[in-house]
Amino acid sequence: MDHGHAESPRAAQDEQELTLGEKLFLRETIKGMAIVARHFWKNLFGFRDNTTEVLDRKGTGVNLVTTINYPEEQKPYPPGYRGMHRLVPRVDGRPRCVACYMCATACPAQCIYIEAGEYDDQAIEKYPVRFEIDELRCIVCGFCVEACPKDAIRMDTGTHAPAVLSRPLAVFDKEALLGGAPVELSSDSMTYRAPLKTVAPMGSNEGGKKMGGH
Amino acid sequence: MDATLTPSSRLASSDIPTAVPVKRTVGNWFGWLIGGWAMFFAFLFGLSATMLGVVRLFAGFDEKKNSVGGTWEGVGNILILMLVFVMILATLLTMADRKWSAMMQDRVGPNRARLPGIDSPLAGLPHIIADVLKMLFKEDFISDGAARQKLLFNLGPLLAFGPAFCLFAVIPMSPEVFFFGKRISLQVLHVDWGILYVFALASIGVFGTALAGWSSDNKFALLGGLRASAQMISYEVTLGLTLVGAFIAYGSVRLDVMSELQGATEAAIRIGGSDPTLFFGWLPAWGIFMQPLAAIFFLTAAMAEIKRTPFDTPEGESEIIGYYLEYSGLKSGLFLIAEYVETVVVAGIVTAIFLGGWHLPWIEPALCSVLDGLWHGNGAALLAIFQVMGFIIKVLLVIWVMFLARWALPRFRYDQVMHLGWKMLLPASLANVIISAAAYLAGGREAMAMVGLVEIVAFVGYVAFWGKKPAADAPDAHGHAADPHAAPASH
Ligand code: SF4
Ligand code: SF4
Repeated sequence: MDHGHAESPRAAQDEQELTLGEKLFLRETIKGMAIVARHFWKNLFGFRDNTTEVLDRKGTGVNLVTTINYPEEQKPYPPGYRGMHRLVPRVDGRPRCVACYMCATACPAQCIYIEAGEYDDQAIEKYPVRFEIDELRCIVCGFCVEACPKDAIRMDTGTHAPAVLSRPLAVFDKEALLGGAPVELSSDSMTYRAPLKTVAPMGSNEGGKKMGGH
Repeated sequence: MDATLTPSSRLASSDIPTAVPVKRTVGNWFGWLIGGWAMFFAFLFGLSATMLGVVRLFAGFDEKKNSVGGTWEGVGNILILMLVFVMILATLLTMADRKWSAMMQDRVGPNRARLPGIDSPLAGLPHIIADVLKMLFKEDFISDGAARQKLLFNLGPLLAFGPAFCLFAVIPMSPEVFFFGKRISLQVLHVDWGILYVFALASIGVFGTALAGWSSDNKFALLGGLRASAQMISYEVTLGLTLVGAFIAYGSVRLDVMSELQGATEAAIRIGGSDPTLFFGWLPAWGIFMQPLAAIFFLTAAMAEIKRTPFDTPEGESEIIGYYLEYSGLKSGLFLIAEYVETVVVAGIVTAIFLGGWHLPWIEPALCSVLDGLWHGNGAALLAIFQVMGFIIKVLLVIWVMFLARWALPRFRYDQVMHLGWKMLLPASLANVIISAAAYLAGGREAMAMVGLVEIVAFVGYVAFWGKKPAADAPDAHGHAADPHAAPASH
């Protein structure tokens, strides 16, 4: 240390506050090593608690390792987590979606592609013939969920979009998205139209007629 | 990638694993704990027995000779001690270092490498194989600057590793014992110069680091090499002086003689009963009780000598990377393994001089008569197996303490290293020489043990009480215990 210059107040303070016992250094060393040793033995003998929700592991007999071995152990995402999309099915397995394009319109990333089709003889007018989400473009904002008037798209799968090895695989189609617990709302029946047998089919195909995408 | 894989089939496949927390039951865990330790000790016992057995086998080739130190016995010892014990232990240490560090820091540690067909991390052991393969097959790159002095550049790692590797030759792992008809001992060199051999060879290690630093043609490597040479030379003085007290006590520089004097003599062991060498009738005659401070100083100086953290300024990964900066592949591996070999050697020396060598405290004569009863007439031979086991356990303990220091202490600044070496350890070890000599003259080794006990009491008192702040602002245990320069009691 250069004694020619005025010592910084901080250094002077440090010098003052060190007692002789501390300057001998040995005790601080031993104390530090004791702490490290305690951690070592706790972790060596401790029972590793694999419960992934536990963040702060204390308690006797449990080791202190908070690491989650990721692929094998996964921490459940919190309830409000916006995960992978899913198209909510009705109880009969068909999608709740009525192909209204609300979500596609609301989507800031423009990653939803819908082609609407029409049921010939059902109480429901439209359904998506194609419904694709490009999960690589999706910014996981949740606007689509907010926009949907039919509660037909949700992000409650609790998992995130999986890693893929080529870009086309990140485009999830209707079959991939449709799944999870079916939802039937009491208000649903109000929106059904009466079966209109008189209306002739608009096309010759069996399921429904494609209308243009956007 | 299978092009026909549709997104839906991907969703159904195992690419997206379901989150099932793996829960090991407590009973299972307890079984692992007991079983693991049982396996560990069984392994040590087997290792000790095998080492003695192999040396006995080799000693058998010397038809007539029935004292220690025959040619064949030496060959067997080189094979089993240096090639198997030291190298295996050093290799395992590369892993233990990482795994123990992880435990000390509340991490899991390396566990990704797998052996084919076994879906278990096996405590990270497969990483050793992965490391060795990586070292072997990596490109041996020589930079343009280093290519100009290729010979010196290649000599560096050899000079660093070679001497370190040879050091273990003088360390005795077992007493001289009649092991099933032949008198053998687990020690390669039975020479009068004992520990001096260690000092001499350890100094040669300096050439390795200095050459590596210089011939790399890299300023950082040169800095590391310079730091390494200065540090090693400085601490060699302390290293020698701390042991002078032990030399006085044992009247020899032979490590086997020193070890022998720290416990029951062969005759006492054969007769059975109690151990006559105990100090005051109850204290094992271990070096650490005669020379407690010297033991601490020696361990400190030795850690500086082999450049282990917290004295690793020559390596300083975060600043200058060190003298092996330009090395790659197996040559870099040699530097690394040399450090672990040196760790084993230092632990061996500390054990042999301060921790009673192979001696088990108190129970040796009694254990011998029990074992004699089990297998008539072979009590001493069976005891030797336990003694070797005891030596290995002590070595592992010392290594563990060195790793503790590594994670408890921040790296010393270079001037602090020199300050500690020249201005603290050197005068302290000189004082230790004088005190030890006076005590020895006054009353032999018992008097030294007396002084040692006083030192231990004083030391414990100092650690526990002296210099403590008033209780009100006592520093909390997790705060800055490891940092001598932190402002005390700031929170
Ligand atoms: S989360 Fe946002 S970006 Fe993603 S699909 Fe829905 S609206 Fe589009
Ligand atoms: S907003 Fe809902 S109902 Fe409309 S297209 Fe999107 S998912 Fe279907």
